[in-house]
Amino acid sequence: MNCLQFENALPEYLEGSRTAEQQAHLNACTSCSTLLADLDLISTQAASLRELEDPSPRVWNALEIQLRREGLIRRPETQATGGFFSRWRTAWLVPVAAALAIVAGVKLYQPARVGDIQPTAKVSPAPAKARPAVATPAIAPEDKDIMSTVASRPPAQVAAYRNDLDQANAFIRDAQEAVRNNPNDIYSQQLLINAYEQKQMLYRLALDETENNDEQ
Amino acid sequence: MTDARRPQGNKLSEAEAIEKAKQGDPEAFEFLYNLHKRRVYSLCLRMTGNTASAEDLTQEAFLQLFRKIGTFRGESAFSTWLHRMAVNVVLMQLRKKGLPLVPIDETTEGDEEGVVRKEPGAPDERLTGSIDRLQLQRAVDELPPGYRTIFVLHDVEGYEHNEIADLVGCSIGNSKSQLHKARIKLRDLLRANRPERAGKR
Repeated sequence: MNCLQFENALPEYLEGSRTAEQQAHLNACTSCSTLLADLDLISTQAASLRELEDPSPRVWNALEIQLRREGLIRRPETQATGGFFSRWRTAWLVPVAAALAIVAGVKLYQPARVGDIQPTAKVSPAPAKARPAVATPAIAPEDKDIMSTVASRPPAQVAAYRNDLDQANAFIRDAQEAVRNNPNDIYSQQLLINAYEQKQMLYRLALDETENNDEQ
Repeated sequence: MTDARRPQGNKLSEAEAIEKAKQGDPEAFEFLYNLHKRRVYSLCLRMTGNTASAEDLTQEAFLQLFRKIGTFRGESAFSTWLHRMAVNVVLMQLRKKGLPLVPIDETTEGDEEGVVRKEPGAPDERLTGSIDRLQLQRAVDELPPGYRTIFVLHDVEGYEHNEIADLVGCSIGNSKSQLHKARIKLRDLLRANRPERAGKR
């Protein structure tokens, strides 16, 4: 048996189908034994590539938005956990309600345009009883610009947007406190991320619709 | 594959999360995503060699899974179900791009004469002990798409040849043959990229 013959039979050899002739060639041939050792090393080390990296947070963000759009994420029938997580479980509906309010307002002005957000039958604006009463604090310094941006909208929209912005800020404050109290708790950390992302979505919606209006 | 885990500070197992996700619980979805994201993303990244594509495909795989989660009855492991779905999503994407899932003949020069090139007097230098995960990762990324598919599915992810044949639409013999060629190609890449050839064993 020569090296070419051995190499041609390698796939079967590696699957366990081995002959005495192949073994004899291996014992005598350094090149083929080196080749075999290298292929075996590559094969066994390959499993180390199985779990390497995490995707960026944008993957979950985009996924979550889509799941909500399709109604796959919805208000649970019962709230199994109490306290902080229970209170903010429906907080997601706040920016969605704001989004619907803004989009609805734009559609009144521009009936031919299709908004970015497509409300589904399963996602409805949060009913009044689900929105905790929030005393109107002063506008946070970082929010003054965005409030100026939406100031030209109908007063009811502006008030709704302001309320949702205040709720988003309250959510962020509560999430920050939860992380301070439980710095190693992954859920608190994730909730803080969600809180910031919800506010980011409010900003983005307001800015997107402002650009749409400006183009008119 | 991945064992069910409970996150710190919250008593939730994978089975419980699945049932809650069926009811639309957002935390349950997120728990399942965090539990499996690394494995799915790494698979997509290894098969596409592209970060942006891998992220899009990861999102799509989980989206398809969560759309169908209501039908999951537990006959197989959840991770197996998800993993198979991710593989199918990637393969579908590769098909759409017109990339070969299994090479018809991606031979390199010299293959007709065999891989083992005899250089009189030159010692054969093994790779043993001289490759690390990063080197291997880079070499896999350099593989032609068809070879990469077979290698990732078999050696990295642990699929058997009959499963690969089913997934990519080839014969078992073709799968074995292409795997062998993929490993040979990887060996060439690793030897070519080795920083020093100092006669190490």
